[in-house]
Amino acid sequence: MKQRVLAGLLLVLLVTLGPGTGARGAVEPVKNPDTFVTLRFGDPESLDPAYAYDTASQEVIWPAVYETLIAYSGSMTSRYVPELASQVPSLANGLISKDGLTYTFPIRSGVKFHDGSTMTPEDVRYSMLRFMLQDRDGGPSWLLLTPLLGKDSTRDSKGKFQVTYQDAAKAVTVDGNNVVFHLNHPYGAFLSIMAAWSLVMPKAWAAAHGDWDGSAGTWQKYNNPKLQDRYAFDHMNGTGPFKLQQWDRQAKQVILVRNDAYWRSPAKLARVVIRTVPEFATRRLQLQRGDADFIEVNRTEQSQVQGMAGVEIRDDLPTLVLQALHFNFKIDATGNPDVGSGKLDGNGIPPDFFSDLHVRKGFAYAFDYATFIRDGYRGKAVQPNGPIIQGLLGYDPTLPKYTFDRAKATTEFKEAWGGKLWDTGFKFTLTYNTGNTVRQVGAQIMKDSIEALNPKFKVDIRNLQWSSFLQATNQHKGTLYALGWAVDYPDPDDFAQPFLASTGDYPKRNSFKDPNADRLVQEGAVTADPAKRAAIYRQLTKIAYDQVPSLYVAQPSAFVVMRSWVRGWYYNAVLSPGSLDYYALYKQ
Amino acid sequence: MSAIRSTSSAPTLPFSRALAPARAVESGWHRTVRRFRRNPLSVLGMGIIAMFVLTALLAPFIAHPVERNPYMMPHSGYAPDPQPPRPGHPFGTTEEQFDLFYGIVWGARTAFIVALSVIASAVAIALVLGSVSGFYGGRVDEIVMRIVDIVLAFPGLILAVVIVAVLGPSVRNLIIAIAAVEWPTYTRLLRGEFLRVRDMEYVQAARALGASDLLIIVRHVIPNTIYSVLILASLNMGSIVITFAALSFLGLGVPPGYSDWGQLISLSRNWITGTAGDPFTFWYTLIIPGTAIFLFVLGWNLLGDAFRDVFDPRLQGSR
Amino acid sequence: MTTFIARRLALLPFVAVGVTVLIFSLLQFLTPAMRASLYIHDPKQLNALPDIIRKYDLDRPVYIQYWGWLRQVLHGDLGWSETAREPVADAIRGYFPATLELGMYSFACILALGIWLGTAAAVNKDRALDHLSRFTSISGASLPTFVWALLLLMVFYGHFGWFPPGRLSLDADLYVRGGQFHAYTGLMTIDALLNGQWWIFWDAVRHLVLPVATLTYYLTAVLVRITRSSMLETLRTDYVRTAEAKGLSHHVVIDKHARRNAMIPVITLGSLLFVGLLSGVVITETVFNLPGIGRWGVGASQQLDIPAVTGFALVFAGLLVLANLCADVLYAVVDPRIRLR
Repeated sequence: MKQRVLAGLLLVLLVTLGPGTGARGAVEPVKNPDTFVTLRFGDPESLDPAYAYDTASQEVIWPAVYETLIAYSGSMTSRYVPELASQVPSLANGLISKDGLTYTFPIRSGVKFHDGSTMTPEDVRYSMLRFMLQDRDGGPSWLLLTPLLGKDSTRDSKGKFQVTYQDAAKAVTVDGNNVVFHLNHPYGAFLSIMAAWSLVMPKAWAAAHGDWDGSAGTWQKYNNPKLQDRYAFDHMNGTGPFKLQQWDRQAKQVILVRNDAYWRSPAKLARVVIRTVPEFATRRLQLQRGDADFIEVNRTEQSQVQGMAGVEIRDDLPTLVLQALHFNFKIDATGNPDVGSGKLDGNGIPPDFFSDLHVRKGFAYAFDYATFIRDGYRGKAVQPNGPIIQGLLGYDPTLPKYTFDRAKATTEFKEAWGGKLWDTGFKFTLTYNTGNTVRQVGAQIMKDSIEALNPKFKVDIRNLQWSSFLQATNQHKGTLYALGWAVDYPDPDDFAQPFLASTGDYPKRNSFKDPNADRLVQEGAVTADPAKRAAIYRQLTKIAYDQVPSLYVAQPSAFVVMRSWVRGWYYNAVLSPGSLDYYALYKQ
Repeated sequence: MSAIRSTSSAPTLPFSRALAPARAVESGWHRTVRRFRRNPLSVLGMGIIAMFVLTALLAPFIAHPVERNPYMMPHSGYAPDPQPPRPGHPFGTTEEQFDLFYGIVWGARTAFIVALSVIASAVAIALVLGSVSGFYGGRVDEIVMRIVDIVLAFPGLILAVVIVAVLGPSVRNLIIAIAAVEWPTYTRLLRGEFLRVRDMEYVQAARALGASDLLIIVRHVIPNTIYSVLILASLNMGSIVITFAALSFLGLGVPPGYSDWGQLISLSRNWITGTAGDPFTFWYTLIIPGTAIFLFVLGWNLLGDAFRDVFDPRLQGSR
Repeated sequence: MTTFIARRLALLPFVAVGVTVLIFSLLQFLTPAMRASLYIHDPKQLNALPDIIRKYDLDRPVYIQYWGWLRQVLHGDLGWSETAREPVADAIRGYFPATLELGMYSFACILALGIWLGTAAAVNKDRALDHLSRFTSISGASLPTFVWALLLLMVFYGHFGWFPPGRLSLDADLYVRGGQFHAYTGLMTIDALLNGQWWIFWDAVRHLVLPVATLTYYLTAVLVRITRSSMLETLRTDYVRTAEAKGLSHHVVIDKHARRNAMIPVITLGSLLFVGLLSGVVITETVFNLPGIGRWGVGASQQLDIPAVTGFALVFAGLLVLANLCADVLYAVVDPRIRLR
């Protein structure tokens, strides 16, 4: 009996393995030559271009399925090529008015949507208005609302509407074969916003499927939808080189197929499969076997893919991402476990602890930036000197930045709080968001650095899960916390405003206010002349250095991992490494 | 999760019972110990557990605390890749250079503290609810049993995850979460035992004599029910540590850097595939905490089985 | 028998309400900002926090939220799951088959292996085979599941390439999603057979080997222990000894007499195991990338997706009551002395 069972088992094994045994040669032939398989960590939230604001969604949306009026020229983030527009507006060709308030985009003809209908300027206008007026909470609509309407939301802080249809309709008009944008104020970065966010979808299709039909009186009903409210959430109809075949939310897999009626020559890949595999080991093994062509890898996991046969790694890719540690100038101490006693008695910190410039400078000199970059990023990062990072207009590497200097740190701390701090000491908890080893390393380094200066300085570190982190942030309970910023569009205003303007994300949360900074941010946004802008942003960097509202600890480089049979890949700091340009890719 | 419940519905024939000796507690300790020692596996289990107990007790001497909180592992630097065993780090270091030796030694403490706390809380609740329910019966029994049914109907891991997600990941909250999942099993067990003992002659006699219920519970009932709890608890010790590790794997574990085997082994998942040329590059991140957990669970399982073999009257037979 | 079944089924709504009340009372500890974390994923969206709270009515008291949810359920709507990005009912229906398939085959293997090992251990009590089988089964439960899962994946997929992760390989997957394939049950193995596509059947089996092996190894220990102890108990009863004294062969005694009675605690455990599998497969599903209900359920719990967790717990509780009911009915079948009250 037992032998029969064993024999049966062997038979089953043989039959099962027969058809599936993979070749184990040193150089494998290309697997699935016309299908590209990407494995990601996160999965898309929504496929609606006016709703999605996360990288996993963006990868599917742009530029594979939906397209923009103008596009980045390959790897360049400051030069554009026409895409759905037939010309890139500039001062030279007169399509940007001299006062910088009017941008005219001639629209390409003969472009078809995936459902076969032809794209018209009216579709473009509709898409722009829809992008602005849908304005869901936490969405990307502010990107167009701010330059065009001068407001960052269609609703005020109490939820009442503060824009009208007329405001929007005046801002985007159709003139013959052109779509004209009338800006609220001159904004030098407008073209870079257009290059990433002016995604076009057909009006008729949207209206036919329960979305806004573009008319004046009804837009408010379609404002601020929930995730599932729009047909465009899980259905796509764009002009891009790929069509959506299926979004299987349970299998966490998106399948795109080639659009043979694409207005340019059809893509080389017949199919793209983007699958979510949260477990790194599984992703890596699939890459190793060739069942995946491109996988997402963290910097900390890099040593495991280095040197893998048939795999190529491209490193030192400059990103437009900034990691920072933020000081909270006015901490809410009620029921706050992170401030200790809440007083300057050596067992806690007072709520305005970080409002003392000497304290902030002490922290700035105490942090070991070099070790952080070496160990947190394997050396593949640069230390910024302010929020205007490398790759942005106005970046100036010659401007001063803080270095790890214990002597200077000691001096600053000795002067802090009227000289009392050094003898009294302090104790507080530094919080960071779970799930990111880099932030953990940063917190650890901060703790070790500070505690090494004076035994009376005690820093604990605490990891918070996302919900608790939100809770703490909402109530201004954070003390010193780590949060980064990734680029929306490659313009210094995208970084200066959230870090230095008092209405910006971080200053608002941390009660930082500098009227000089406000004035300069405003000026930088409306000035058109690049040279003048560069000067303004250099001044802002100096303010960031003098005031130290945050510690700007790293601008990381990225690396990507793919099979060596992948061809046509290029790097673009706004697009990659979060997305791939599947139109350019093929396997050989 | 332990899925063991005492089954009170196994069929037994009346005559085999009559031939069984009286309860183990009444036949003397030496008989118990002798039966215990006969089984090599139980001796092995005992030995393993003793080793861990010693490690836990002597932790501060074996591995000197460096941080303010002695449960935090010391780290030499912050480099991301784990480093193999070398002088100064006999077990190597895991990612961010936390010392594995320190983690294993103090992790023994964590394992005992967590497992014992969970069991103690579960037993405490079960004692109160089970005694009230089993002793008094009737309406109270119905209500308590329905509550137990409801909690048991809830998928265990989900309940633990929800509790930790709501309260936040800390050692204390993790203990609460796992205890919340384990208490119904103990309650059912103790209630069954209380029911059984309630009808015994000497208890009825004590009641007739006017002894207070509390006195009866403490002096007569509890000593007689302790063995089934002991069996369940010893098997549970191991599974609690595994659950702890599972929660770490799901990202709901102890703070990073805390000495906990579960966290150490769940950190290994990032390194288990090794480097491109050598899948065993980071073998120590898995083998070292894995061995600790393995031996701990094995020891308690063997011990639990041994307890059952020794104490369970149904297995004593008529031989 | 029917009154017994009816009375047990009457427990269902009671348990359902109890389970849901349990979840919602846990939510008392959540502040509106924490509940908002379900909708906000990026630091850039932090400014929208008060608006999100307002939009989804997150600051309503818990009992009002419960009442609203209950009303919805009574109309047949389990609500929307933000983590699954589809209605809760659809998510459960969609995720369930993968877990069912995995659970089914694992259950069969665990039962077969557990009873075989447990019986062998009981019959050879205190001898080498007893120790060996107990040691093997205990070792399976002595390490967290993901260790075995990852090791198996590394060796049998990473090195040999025999058993890949996921449910199907790319070609099979694309075929299944094409028009010609009809998904009757959602279980790949069954559907492939129903569609007459043998290659898909074998592909699905190939992908199931490692997950099933992982779960089997991990969960067999419990069954071995229970089988062993119940077999030991039965082997000592008089009627078995009488049968042996009568000269009946060893096989007959074990198979015919002892096994039947030993089935009872095994049935208890089997029903428990079956439902326990369903929620305990989380790690297996994560490592092997299977779109199952365990992985989704736990993910939803972590992200505080309340409708999802409540819906999931509801379905699970219902299944448990049914499983216990089946177990009790099976008891009566196996042992006529047991009366169903």
